Amino acid sequence: MSFQDGMLNLTNWLGNVIMPTIAGLFAAAAIYRFGKAQPWQHFAWAGLASLMCSGLLRVLESFSNQAAWNNPDQFWLAVLTLVNWEGNVLLPLYGALQVVLSVVHFSGLLERMTIGEAWVRNLVTAMCCFGLSGLLRLAEFWIRNGTAGVR
Amino acid sequence: MTLPQIIVDLMKLLFDLAVPSAICTMVLAGIALRREGGLDFQAGGHFQKWVLWSVIFLTLPQLLSWLAAQGITLPAQGGSIGSPWVMSLETSFTNFVSGVLVTRLVPVLAAFFVLKAVLDAAQGQSPLASVVTAIFLLGTSSTVQLMQSWNSGSQFAMTDMLSSIWNFLAGTILPEAAGIAVVGAILNYARHRPFMPLIGSGLAFLSVSALWKLVQAMAG
Repeated sequence: MSFQDGMLNLTNWLGNVIMPTIAGLFAAAAIYRFGKAQPWQHFAWAGLASLMCSGLLRVLESFSNQAAWNNPDQFWLAVLTLVNWEGNVLLPLYGALQVVLSVVHFSGLLERMTIGEAWVRNLVTAMCCFGLSGLLRLAEFWIRNGTAGVR
Repeated sequence: MTLPQIIVDLMKLLFDLAVPSAICTMVLAGIALRREGGLDFQAGGHFQKWVLWSVIFLTLPQLLSWLAAQGITLPAQGGSIGSPWVMSLETSFTNFVSGVLVTRLVPVLAAFFVLKAVLDAAQGQSPLASVVTAIFLLGTSSTVQLMQSWNSGSQFAMTDMLSSIWNFLAGTILPEAAGIAVVGAILNYARHRPFMPLIGSGLAFLSVSALWKLVQAMAG
């Protein structure tokens, strides 16, 4: 057994076995905190990121491949590509999400979750608890289809 | 001047024990790696020292050829050991390294480090340091074989081997570690801890050679 193979196997085990397993734990934590009306988005994003571990590594590799291996500006170009990706991809997606949320909040659709009565929040939490495995399969479906690019 | 046979035998013994000694120093390097953090090592620390000794042991003939090029001639090293007692010393040490150290002791040491990883996690520390050390110990003999394949055979084989080790770390090991950095970033994000340094480190792991070129360009 070589050190290189050992490190490769360790990385593969962490990224492809442990992290997808922990994604379920993060999703369960997000549902629990949502039911308690506590901040829950962190766990939800962490659960999604856990399922996308290898994809995130491919993203970092594509950032660092913007220049040749012996180009002194490779690291700077990698960071620049990361910043561009954040500004041109992540922020517009987040903006679209915020537009949707603004419409939902303006229409009062989620009022019963934040003001006064908690029964809607409790109902949604119960539905998520019973449908957690379905939610995880849905996230995995999105990620698998994401490999086909923007359609 | 003709050397006494016992001196010739002892010189042959020392040269024949160079590779087993390199394996021993690599095991010591693995233990020192955990002492110095496991995922990192101290500059000028014991890990660097033991790895350097491994390189010296593996390139001993080439070091002597450099001395010969400087005009310091040494008696020719060839043939077999004449004294049965000296030969038994060599056989015993070689059998100890292959049969006891590599086959039995190193796996036990690695197992203890895996156990330590569990205890580290229970204490709230990262278990990765002990796990990486265990993997390093289990790969000791193959690492020494890999280092032997990097022996250029020239007078500067020692520095050539050190360059090859650097290239191996920068081009093979650290890109694999970038995946571990991504995992660490996600776990830190979930625990409300700083995760951007790990993202930056992941990018840096993938760009080590370019960073070296950058530093060389800065130095002029």
